[in-house]
Amino acid sequence: MDVVVCLKQVVDPELPVRDFAVDPGTQRQVREGRPLVISTYDENALEVALQLKDASGAKVKVLTLGPAAAVSEAIRLALAMGADEAIVVDDPRAPELSGAEKACTLAAAIRRIGSADLILTGCESADWAERVVAPLLAEDLGAACVTFVSRVEAGDGAPVVRRLVEDGYHLVEVRLPAVLSVTSDESNRPRLPKVKDIMAAKRKPVQTWSPADLTRSSARDPGAGVEVRGVVVPERTSRCEFLTGEPAEQVTALAQRLRDQKLL
Amino acid sequence: MAVQLSDEHRMIQAMVREFATRELLPIAADLDQHSRFPREAVERAAELGLMGMTVPEDYGGAGMEPLAYVVAQEELARACAGFQTIVTVNNSLVCEPILRWGSEAQKQRYLPELASGRKLGCYCLTEPSSGSDAMSLRTTAVLRDGEWRLSGTKIFVTNGAEADLCLVYARSEPEAGARGLSAFLVEKPFPGASVGKIEKKLGIRCSSTTEIVLDDCRVPEGNLLGERGQGGRIALATLDGGRIGIAAQALGIARACLEETAAYVQQRQQFGRPIGEFQAVRWALADMATRLEAARLLTYRAAALRGQGLPCTGEAAMAKLFASETAMWAAHKAVQLFGGYGYTQDYPVERYFRDAKITEIYEGTSEIQRLVISRHLLARS
Repeated sequence: MDVVVCLKQVVDPELPVRDFAVDPGTQRQVREGRPLVISTYDENALEVALQLKDASGAKVKVLTLGPAAAVSEAIRLALAMGADEAIVVDDPRAPELSGAEKACTLAAAIRRIGSADLILTGCESADWAERVVAPLLAEDLGAACVTFVSRVEAGDGAPVVRRLVEDGYHLVEVRLPAVLSVTSDESNRPRLPKVKDIMAAKRKPVQTWSPADLTRSSARDPGAGVEVRGVVVPERTSRCEFLTGEPAEQVTALAQRLRDQKLL
Repeated sequence: MAVQLSDEHRMIQAMVREFATRELLPIAADLDQHSRFPREAVERAAELGLMGMTVPEDYGGAGMEPLAYVVAQEELARACAGFQTIVTVNNSLVCEPILRWGSEAQKQRYLPELASGRKLGCYCLTEPSSGSDAMSLRTTAVLRDGEWRLSGTKIFVTNGAEADLCLVYARSEPEAGARGLSAFLVEKPFPGASVGKIEKKLGIRCSSTTEIVLDDCRVPEGNLLGERGQGGRIALATLDGGRIGIAAQALGIARACLEETAAYVQQRQQFGRPIGEFQAVRWALADMATRLEAARLLTYRAAALRGQGLPCTGEAAMAKLFASETAMWAAHKAVQLFGGYGYTQDYPVERYFRDAKITEIYEGTSEIQRLVISRHLLARS
C-alpha cells in the first residue's frame, strides 16, 4: 500500500502568547524568529501511516508545501520518525495561501506522485483550523473521504477506519484511493525518533518540486470563495465580582451567574 | 573555539527533551522518594538509542559523537538527575572503555547487549581506603590456571544492584600505583562476585549505589580489558569522558533550578507584586543564567575536543568543576528564592539541591579537578 501524508509546518502552538503576532500587511501570523513544528494533527496522521508501515509494510511518503528552506526541519523529523521519502513543493507564498489553494496544489502533487492508495492529513491545522484540505483533496482526486479518523486497519480487503463521532465511533470500510483526515487518540500518539534514525534521515530521498512543475485541476478556481479581510488577536479581560449576602444567597446568586454564562 | 549545534544535535535534543518530559518528569519525585530504579524508562531509553549513544552502529549503538551525547544528557538530567546517572555510567564508564580498549571479541560480546539495554554496566574503581587516591587501590588479581582470581571490595558503585557487567580495576602487577593495575570485565554471575551493602543516599536516589564484593572471583583470562598493567591508564582516560557526562548532568540540574525559579518568581506575590519584580531576585536569576551558559560552553568545548580525538583532560576537568559548582550554587539560590516552600517536597527544588551535591563529588571531587587543571597548567608552562 502506498500512503501519502500531507504535513504542514506551523509556528509552535505552544509558544507563549506574548510571542504571537499578526503581520498587518499580509494578515498572517508572523513566522520569522518563531520555532516551527509539524502541525499537531498532521503528526497523528504520520503516526497512523507509520503504524500501517509497521503492520503491513506500507510505503510512506510525506508531502509538504514550502517554502523549502522553512520546511526542512519538519521533513527531517518525519523521515527520522520513519517515513520513507519526502516531497517538498517549494512555494514561498505557501503560508499566505488559503486552504482551498493549498488543497489544489497538493492534489496536483499527489497526481504527479502517481501511486497513492491512502492520503492522510491532520483533521485541522494548528494555525488556521479550516478543516477543508482533506475534503477538497478528495474532491479534486475523485477519491473517497472520511474525516476525523483515529485508526486504520488494513487487512487483505478494503481498509476499515475508525471515525470518531460524539459518544463513540463509526467503523467505515473505505474504497481506495481514499483521503482520511486524522484526529488524535491514545492509539496514534506520535512516536519519538530513535537517535540512529535521526542520523539516517539525512540519507533518505527528498525531492523538491516547483508549483510550476504541477498540473493543477482546472475543474474549479481555488482562489475563489474566501477572502480574509482581517485577523485580530482576541483581547482577554477578566473581571472579579464579589457576591454579598448570606451564604445561601451567595450560592443562589453564583448559580444564576453560572447559568447566565451557560456554564451550568 | 566556537561550538555550534548541528541540525542533528537539535533534533536529538528535541527528542530527548520530549522523552524526558513524557516519561521522566511525571515520575521523578516518586522515584526519588522511594529510591526506585526506573526499569521501564531505562528500557525505553535503550529503544531510543540512549544507552549506547557513542557506540558505533556496527556494535548496536547510535554512533553519535560526544557533543550529541552531552546535549542528550543535559535533557535527561533536567528531568531526573538520578536517571541520567544510570545512563551516563553505562555510556561513559562502561561502553566507552570497551570500545577503546576492548578486543574485537569483547566488543562483539558486550557492546550490543549494553547499547540495547539488555545488559547494564557499572564501574568499580573506588574502595574503602582509595577514593581520590584511586591508584592506591588494593583489590588483587592473580592469574592462575588460565583464570584471573579477583579479591577485594569495591564501594560507591553506581548501578551496582542492577548491573550485569562490572568493569573492575585490580592490582595484578607488583608495581605500586597506576602501573600495577589491570582492568577486567566481570559478569555478575561469575563465581565469587556479589552485591554487598546498598547505600542510602542524599540524592540521585533512583540509581543504586552499592558495594561489589569480589571473593576469589573467577574471571576468564579473555576478560582482561586492554593489556596487563594498563588499568591505571584506562581508568584515568575513561574519567575524561565520564567527567564530561557529569558536567552535562550538572547543566541539567542547574537549568532545572533556573527554569523552576523563573516560573515561580513570576507568580509568587509578596508586598503586592510578583517577587520577580524585585531587583535582588532578578539579579540572582541573571547570575544563574550567566553561569549556566558559561558552564554549557565549557562542557560543549570539552565534548567537541573529545569528538575530534584531541586531548581534553584539562578541559573536561574545567567543565566538570565549573558545571558542578554552578549546579550547587544554582540549587542553593533556587531553594532560597522559593523560601519555606523550597524546603518542602511540594516543590522540586529541594530534590535539585540534594541531587546537585553529588556532581561536586563523584568522578573526581572539585578538589581533584583543580589538581588536574593545575597540573596541566604547570606542565604547559
